[in-house]
Amino acid sequence: MVSRAQTLETTYRTNGATVQAAFESVRMALQTSSAVIKRGPKEISYGTVVSEDGYILTKASEIGDGTGLTVIVDEKTFKDAALLSVDSSWDVALLKVQATGLVPVKLALDSPDAERGTWVVANGATSRTKRRPQVGIIAATPREILPAGGAVLGVSLEEKSKKLVVTEVHEKSGAEKAGMKKDDVIAAVSGQKISNRKELAEAMEKHRVGDDLELTVERDGAKIDLKVRLAGRVDLFGEEKSRNDVMSGNFSVRRSGFPRIIQHDIVANSAGMGGPLLDLDGRCLGMNIARANRCETFAIPAGDLRSLADRLITQATAK
Amino acid sequence: MTEVRTAALTGLFACILLMPAQVNAERPYINDKKAPDSRHDLDVIQKHLTETLPANRRATVCIDLGEGSGSGVVVTADGLILTAAHVTGGVGKEFTVIFEDGRKAKAESLGLISTSDCAMAKIIEPGTWPHVEMDRDDTTQLGDWVYSLGHSGGFDKERGVVVRLGRIVQVKDSTFQSDCSLIGGDSGGPLFDLNGKLVGIHSRVGMRVPENMHVPLREFVKNWDALSRSEFVGDGPFAKRPEKGKGFLGLGTKSRSEGGLSVDKVGRESPAEKAGMKAGDILLKMDGVELKTKEQFQDMLKEKAPDDRVALELLREGKLETLTLRLGER
Repeated sequence: MVSRAQTLETTYRTNGATVQAAFESVRMALQTSSAVIKRGPKEISYGTVVSEDGYILTKASEIGDGTGLTVIVDEKTFKDAALLSVDSSWDVALLKVQATGLVPVKLALDSPDAERGTWVVANGATSRTKRRPQVGIIAATPREILPAGGAVLGVSLEEKSKKLVVTEVHEKSGAEKAGMKKDDVIAAVSGQKISNRKELAEAMEKHRVGDDLELTVERDGAKIDLKVRLAGRVDLFGEEKSRNDVMSGNFSVRRSGFPRIIQHDIVANSAGMGGPLLDLDGRCLGMNIARANRCETFAIPAGDLRSLADRLITQATAK
Repeated sequence: MTEVRTAALTGLFACILLMPAQVNAERPYINDKKAPDSRHDLDVIQKHLTETLPANRRATVCIDLGEGSGSGVVVTADGLILTAAHVTGGVGKEFTVIFEDGRKAKAESLGLISTSDCAMAKIIEPGTWPHVEMDRDDTTQLGDWVYSLGHSGGFDKERGVVVRLGRIVQVKDSTFQSDCSLIGGDSGGPLFDLNGKLVGIHSRVGMRVPENMHVPLREFVKNWDALSRSEFVGDGPFAKRPEKGKGFLGLGTKSRSEGGLSVDKVGRESPAEKAGMKAGDILLKMDGVELKTKEQFQDMLKEKAPDDRVALELLREGKLETLTLRLGER
């Protein structure tokens, strides 16, 4: 009964070099329309080229403050990349390099969502001159990924004599940035009166990470209107690793709270996001935005990416 | 519970081979190529996937164990399910299965092979269930393209069943290794060939992402009788044999001079309480045997293991009642 194990050589495995070679025509699209984003010698993210004149989208939470970035597109290196704007609900940053004649991705805008089982190709390991592909398939139904732990203001609260009082404003939270202070009393959300936690929770229920919550607080007898950008609980406070996380290696820190994603089975690491997700025709189905765990990667669908790019570029040029 | 002997196995195997053969779909040529090397080859793989996925998704269930979940696949219209032994964890356990569309059904585990991680279960509600075709002829070879389905991390109606593509990268006697990556919740889920036939069941993963282990369907086929007869086979790592004497009922009783036992305590949340027993009931029989003393009752219970069924006959307010319950674990 006992027989020796038979083993398939690495090169013939799903992401072996020989199999990847069959995707050469798609690799060419990665070569011209994806970007490698580095800080010093270290690759920190990939990018998706969305215009001939140098607009590039990437994953915002992987590039820190956006300074000191080097961007490589095809064989050209750009040392002057500027971070122009960020959309926090999608975790996308708009970069600009001084370039002409780049080849933007061909977004698949005129077709329905690719069905499960459709081949997809994304950035794999890269060298200074050559992009390499990694391959997989569409794995699940496109959907919204709710923020793990919900959307939060970033404050600690206490109910005191039918008033909701701020006892602490957390660092780097939307509340802090909006100027909330300890001892503020939360009076209303979008003009609707709030007097306890339950009412606040109900008022926040409809809101997502990245939304600006219209908040009225009472401070020293005066009413003050604030706009507080909501953050994901986990993004702000961190999270405990689940059993699936422990076996998942290097996943993205920001991996939940996206309005809509497509899911595929390409295994990447957290620095492997931001690049385009291509089909066999080299059309761009979306942009990789989170490695969720060991075997699930999320991408922003092409249609959403188009409107996001337009919005970010408009914001940047209006400044 | 007996070990399945080799002699019996051989007999069973022969008998399966005598079953009328299904019309076999042709082996896709792409499996006999070392690697795809053209757009056409890639299109062929994609076409096989997209054509066979819808039906196979419908038959892939989430096995909801309350604490945690696994996956399984329905293989007959009357609801026979194949899954992993470490998912069912034992024989005669009840759980809920959830189909991709959200439909739920009660199921019960049948037999398991604790050495190879095979397990069988059955939906116990009447109905005609979506099911998959099995590759009973065991045609899978090293390098074949395969895909995995599973309710990764639990049931998610919006996401649906998750699919991942890979190849068979290693074949050993009782294991297929593939590069279809797996994660918690996929355990017990199905592995299919490009014709959409079931070839294996997900079992476990290694520390590295490319190490994903599946039990080949042939392990189920050769143990089919033992599995369907609810036998617990072997003393392997994937399931722990229930121990006699560890069965838990949760009753405090006293012997009565006029026969039977009077119930004076019913443990909170105990199997006895869940079955509806109350203080004041008079126990007359267990499994048809008349109960005379408390000691005799305790000796009978010592022969029972967790999840064993016990039939009790009792007198409540002068009326005779019978109830069947399943023992918990002490």
